[in-house]
Amino acid sequence: MASDPGSASGVQDMSSMPLRFHWRLPYAGETYGFARTDQARAPEIGLPDPAAQADFCRQAEQCGIDSLLLDFGFGKPDPMLLAAALGPSTEKLKFIVAYRSGLFAPTMFVQQLNTLSSLINGRVSLNIVAGYSPEEQAGYGDFLSHDERYARTEEFLSICRAFWEHQTGVEFSGRYYRVERGSLKTPFVSTERSFPAIFVGGGSEQAKRLAVNHGTCWMQLADAPEKLSRGVSEVREKGIEAGLRLSVIARPTRDEALRAASELIASKPEGERNLKGESDFIKRTDSVSFKAAYRLGEKEWAAPCLWTGAIRSHGSTAIALVGAAGEVANAILEYGRLGISQFILSGWPKLEEMVYFGKAVLPIIRAQEAAVASRGAIWSD
Amino acid sequence: MPLRFHWSLSQVGDKFRRANATTEMKGLFSLEEQIAFCRAAEQNGIDSLLMAFGFTRPDPLVLSAALAMATREIKFMVAVRPGVTSPTAFVQQINTLSALSDGRVCINIVTGHSPHELGYYGDCLDHDQRYERTDEFLAVCNAFWRRNGEVNFKGKHYDIRNGKLNTPFVSRERTGPEIFLGGNSDLAEQLAIRHAHCLWRFAEAPASLGPRVARILARGKEVGLLVSILARPTREEALRDAYSMIAALSAKPEKFGKTFAERTDSVAYRSTLRLAEESSSDWLTPWLWTGAIPYLGAPAIALVGSNEEIASAIIEYKMAGISQFLFMGWPDLDEMNYFGREVLPIIRREEREERKERKSHQADGALAIGGA
Repeated sequence: MASDPGSASGVQDMSSMPLRFHWRLPYAGETYGFARTDQARAPEIGLPDPAAQADFCRQAEQCGIDSLLLDFGFGKPDPMLLAAALGPSTEKLKFIVAYRSGLFAPTMFVQQLNTLSSLINGRVSLNIVAGYSPEEQAGYGDFLSHDERYARTEEFLSICRAFWEHQTGVEFSGRYYRVERGSLKTPFVSTERSFPAIFVGGGSEQAKRLAVNHGTCWMQLADAPEKLSRGVSEVREKGIEAGLRLSVIARPTRDEALRAASELIASKPEGERNLKGESDFIKRTDSVSFKAAYRLGEKEWAAPCLWTGAIRSHGSTAIALVGAAGEVANAILEYGRLGISQFILSGWPKLEEMVYFGKAVLPIIRAQEAAVASRGAIWSD
Repeated sequence: MPLRFHWSLSQVGDKFRRANATTEMKGLFSLEEQIAFCRAAEQNGIDSLLMAFGFTRPDPLVLSAALAMATREIKFMVAVRPGVTSPTAFVQQINTLSALSDGRVCINIVTGHSPHELGYYGDCLDHDQRYERTDEFLAVCNAFWRRNGEVNFKGKHYDIRNGKLNTPFVSRERTGPEIFLGGNSDLAEQLAIRHAHCLWRFAEAPASLGPRVARILARGKEVGLLVSILARPTREEALRDAYSMIAALSAKPEKFGKTFAERTDSVAYRSTLRLAEESSSDWLTPWLWTGAIPYLGAPAIALVGSNEEIASAIIEYKMAGISQFLFMGWPDLDEMNYFGREVLPIIRREEREERKERKSHQADGALAIGGA
């Protein structure tokens, strides 16, 4: 393929790069995973547990996980400060902090992120989401519609990127933000890059455009490979990466995996309550991808290994690759062949699933990547 | 109540704060040095460290989170400027910091003093409008901290509907952070009375400060003093160091304090600068020195003298109703170590004696009543 360094396209050939895996940091007291209704109720989620969470960070590092995703939401501690507290407990692990526009002035946001980068040696990436719950946004004083939130996020990221490029003399006058000769003295500190990797999540056209204009990777919820391929090629042609958000239930055998999956949704009486909670949430959300994922939950399977049975009780990110370690590895490699290069995963139970993934699934993926790379080397000779 | 002492964390390691034009500051810092400073503060009996906010500095909240993980006792007085963050998101950050530090966080509200810099953050309100917004901002924050269920607020600057947060303010002592607010204007005073616990004022002679302080105390709030400090074993040494400092500074072409004064819209900064200009000498009292203000700005008004002189000046302020002090020094670490070792013990001794005296007065009073 286009491995010729003289290629003028400027688009990196990402198909030869190893796939990158990120994991969602569980919150305090979350060993098995809370459904959305529990999240809103369980006050302990709001309290950071630095000791247990730092332990999870170290385990992630050992498992070959690239970064941990720190969510943003009214029920959770602030991700930026949590990352500042957890960062020193690891050396290589990165932190993907999730934020929405409309909470901070972009100048101040860049200042916070740059400060974090300087504290943990650049090990920070950004996940920008436009927000999915008008009610939750209202609690932050934000009343914009779905499309307006995207328009504002466009402006927000333009300003952030301008600060990362120039650090001084930033001028911006838009509909939502205005910056006059903006200047910040704390730079983005990293040995690898001049600005953080920016994951832009969302299934809508606006999200895709936002990712292409200002991001480095477009993230969407998993679906059957054939349904994803068009969007993936589209953003890759524009020079950014494509990533997937999904869950994993991998076990030594397929039967064990299926059993674990059915146990996850079998528990009563929470089961009933979770179904109700999630369906109420879906009625109120204005997120295109959450609604689409909820529709997927009508059936149990979206593809041979892609289980949708937990979406209606555990939320859209519960769409999961379920199977034997080898099956899950192959499903991921198939996504990889489509051009998807990054994955943000989670599982049940939180820690054990990640450890098993690192021990049993990841080695298969890496071996396959190495085999493909050596074949590629023979061809290019 | 014993006096409480706070110190400003020298974030960018500039020995003479504000001596350099802000363009020369670098915004990077050594975490190890900062941690060492925090530990020194803990050993010197300092209550909290001011984490300033400004475009030349790292973000105070993020930095405090990192420092909190490496310390056990010191509190962080995080400066916040309403207008750069949603109050809900701000409360979420402060509460997260409180949970990480076991409640070792208080906040210092600054309404902003340089319209020029405010523009960097996209903030174009004028002085009075900024106070009005700060008023609303604090009303929302305090509503979250009162923990009375969902927060609803509709004002001119903020509209919050059914706001809720899972992360509470974590502390064994309080349900929300102690709130400090700086400013010399009437608006600042009203704001402190409505929403804060303590109003910071720049230093002036105790006699002129007294009436204003009394007014605020009468409303149940504390008043603190923002002042630099230069203490030495003898008065001669203190004076020598003070004057040699400005001799070194005057070699620089720009008088930073003066240029800054022309651009600021802060009443506190301007009135302190005026105080320095109108005074016939560099001394407002035998120990309150304005000599460094032209070079280093209003916060450089300083207590200068021997250990005993400075201790008794502080006690004199206490008599005038001041209960907290926020110090800066040149450089901060050395001055703080010296203060903790030489000056603070004198103050604590006097406080103990004063308490003893009061107790024996009370005992006398009780006897007298009993005898009647």
